[in-house]
Amino acid sequence: MTGPTKRKVARRISGHAAGPTVRPWVDHGRKYLGMVMQPGAAAGRFEPWRLAVGQLSQEQIVAALTVVLLLGFSLGLQGFATAANFLDLLRSISKLGILGLGMGLIVISRGIDLSEVAMMAGSWCVALTAIPRGLPPFWAAVLALTICVAVGLFNGVMVAFVEAPALFVTLATAYVIYGAAYWFASAFVAYAPLDAPWLVFAGRGTLLGIPMPILVFAAAALVVHAFLSRTSIGRFIYAQGDNPEAARLTGVALRPLTILEYVLVAALAWLAGLVWIGETGSMQMAIVQGTTIFDVILVVVLGGISLVGGRGGVFSVVAGCALIGTLLNAFTIMNVNSEVQNIIRGVVLLAAIILDNLLHPRDEETARQGD
Amino acid sequence: MVRECTLTALIRALSVTALVGGPVVALAQEEAGTKTAHELRADYDKNLKGKTIAFLPIATGVPLMDEWGSVIKTEAEWRGMNFVIRDPNNNPAAMQQALTALVDEKPDVIVVQNPSVTLLQKELKRAEAQGTHVIQMNMSSNYKSDAFVGADWFEVGRMLAEDVVKACGTGSGASGKVQIVQGELTAAASVDQIAGVMDTLNKDKAIKVVSNQAAQWDANNALNITATVIQQHPDLCASIGFWGIMQSGAAQAIRNAGKIDQVKVYASGEGSQLDCDQVNQGNFYKFLSYTAGEQGRDAFLAAVALLEADAKPGSSHKEYYTRPIWLDKSNASGANCYAVPKPPTPTTAADATPKK
Repeated sequence: MTGPTKRKVARRISGHAAGPTVRPWVDHGRKYLGMVMQPGAAAGRFEPWRLAVGQLSQEQIVAALTVVLLLGFSLGLQGFATAANFLDLLRSISKLGILGLGMGLIVISRGIDLSEVAMMAGSWCVALTAIPRGLPPFWAAVLALTICVAVGLFNGVMVAFVEAPALFVTLATAYVIYGAAYWFASAFVAYAPLDAPWLVFAGRGTLLGIPMPILVFAAAALVVHAFLSRTSIGRFIYAQGDNPEAARLTGVALRPLTILEYVLVAALAWLAGLVWIGETGSMQMAIVQGTTIFDVILVVVLGGISLVGGRGGVFSVVAGCALIGTLLNAFTIMNVNSEVQNIIRGVVLLAAIILDNLLHPRDEETARQGD
Repeated sequence: MVRECTLTALIRALSVTALVGGPVVALAQEEAGTKTAHELRADYDKNLKGKTIAFLPIATGVPLMDEWGSVIKTEAEWRGMNFVIRDPNNNPAAMQQALTALVDEKPDVIVVQNPSVTLLQKELKRAEAQGTHVIQMNMSSNYKSDAFVGADWFEVGRMLAEDVVKACGTGSGASGKVQIVQGELTAAASVDQIAGVMDTLNKDKAIKVVSNQAAQWDANNALNITATVIQQHPDLCASIGFWGIMQSGAAQAIRNAGKIDQVKVYASGEGSQLDCDQVNQGNFYKFLSYTAGEQGRDAFLAAVALLEADAKPGSSHKEYYTRPIWLDKSNASGANCYAVPKPPTPTTAADATPKK
């Protein structure tokens, strides 16, 4: 064994085996109660930055930062601290949040799905263009769901059985969906029908004064949270993300689990699309080629769902969305132009990745991602 | 002097022959049509038939470029010309490669849409140097080629703003608050439109621009920005957007806020049926169309003029500006709105868009 490898192994042992072992699929529920320390905090060396931030999880740091920003903007920015603006802020992050729930789930399992936005846009474009051709809106929604689930199944099978890397499979699927949607729908933009109020209700309606997108996001977040933290399948997803080989050895049926994960992402993409078409009144294929998918990854990583898998949860997505939503909302009120917004978004993402690196240093265990 | 006399005599002699031989010729004409018609068409065909016209848009699948492509293709095919299209799919590197490959194939005319003022200029220069006419559409590069066809963006911006001043400015009794939704801050279409808009809006003291942001040509971004703006400024008077499809998101945000009857939503764009639908549904108060179909025809006629003139490529610069037309509920129908065509199938797209 060469020197550097030895050191890495030693660090791994000191960080994981000697300190309190982090087993997210076991400790996930307790982690929120603060009973388990982050691995960095238990390292043998004296590292002040880890002592400073290591006691907190990334999502807690992001949430705290969001609260600070909210307070700051409320004091310093006229028109920010109103109930209507907070509802608007929440509404504006809902679609991103729903997409983020799906992405979060798949990243926790150590996968990734770059076709999520393509599934959303492609399926709904085909469905919406079928309505003027005589398909009833209800069946159009079913058609969109069918397309999403079919693509999700395909992604899952390719990753689970063909064992192709998720990054490339889903990237390829995104291209195929983009092309195929044009082939079938030949529409650059598809508009929601005017005579189907229930179809656009999830995006346009309000319940007790609260815009529906917020409620849909909240409901989806609760369901995904319950699934991830309260069911054994949810725990298996953490196990898979933390160490797939170990999970398989303990008897988790990884292949069906992987397929299920990709189908769930697809279903959430469909749900996000349902809100999207209601809210904007249209679905634009161009978003497949834009930065939307990276925005989704941004909120997921920002909130502390590490790309190495097995870490974070629904609260991470909510915290990541809240931070981004707060920044964008305040910038819009301040009339900051979107190029500056992009710079700030990029810097925030970079900061999140650095924070992720500090909290979850790469080691032998986690460096195996993507092989 | 002597020469002129000879010429006159010759013409006279010919007229006499024509008069005498008239009935015979007329008989022949009944069977084969007039000679002039044949000659004109033969001349036309000699200049055009078998020539190749290549079309290189920034991307296909966009109503504007698809309409251009579809018009150019139809016109070219009717004249027996070859039509070639490449789809670089929004990728500047692929576009440069596609253009290089196209120039090497030596078509007779290239119709190109520039993503920036510098990206393609070298290749366009090379194309003209080797004998290919270059027609630039809607956004010119720094290199002035044989022809430019397109909208005058400054004028489009000015026309939008003039109407907004009428609706919201001094004496209108409205708040004067205006929102602007730009496309991309770096795109020529946005830069020149905003210059035209601001130039006009600044002349009226009553107008106050409360938000001036770019939505990256995306309806959802426009929706999110506008939802915040309408909530901060409930007395907003007008919203100006630089593209119909993007601005439909802004209109939706205003509709969601229940203010679609109060806020006047303006947009400029290519004028497809999608835009007309927005006007007729009451989402757009007024729409300034730069008529993509007319632009496609203008581009083709520019090509015909160049081929018929048989001039050396690069020896002249002609401009063909588009006349923008206002659409509102009274005229947003019929020929003013073109049906969104299916994108022409890219030819040899494989080498135009290499997959990494």
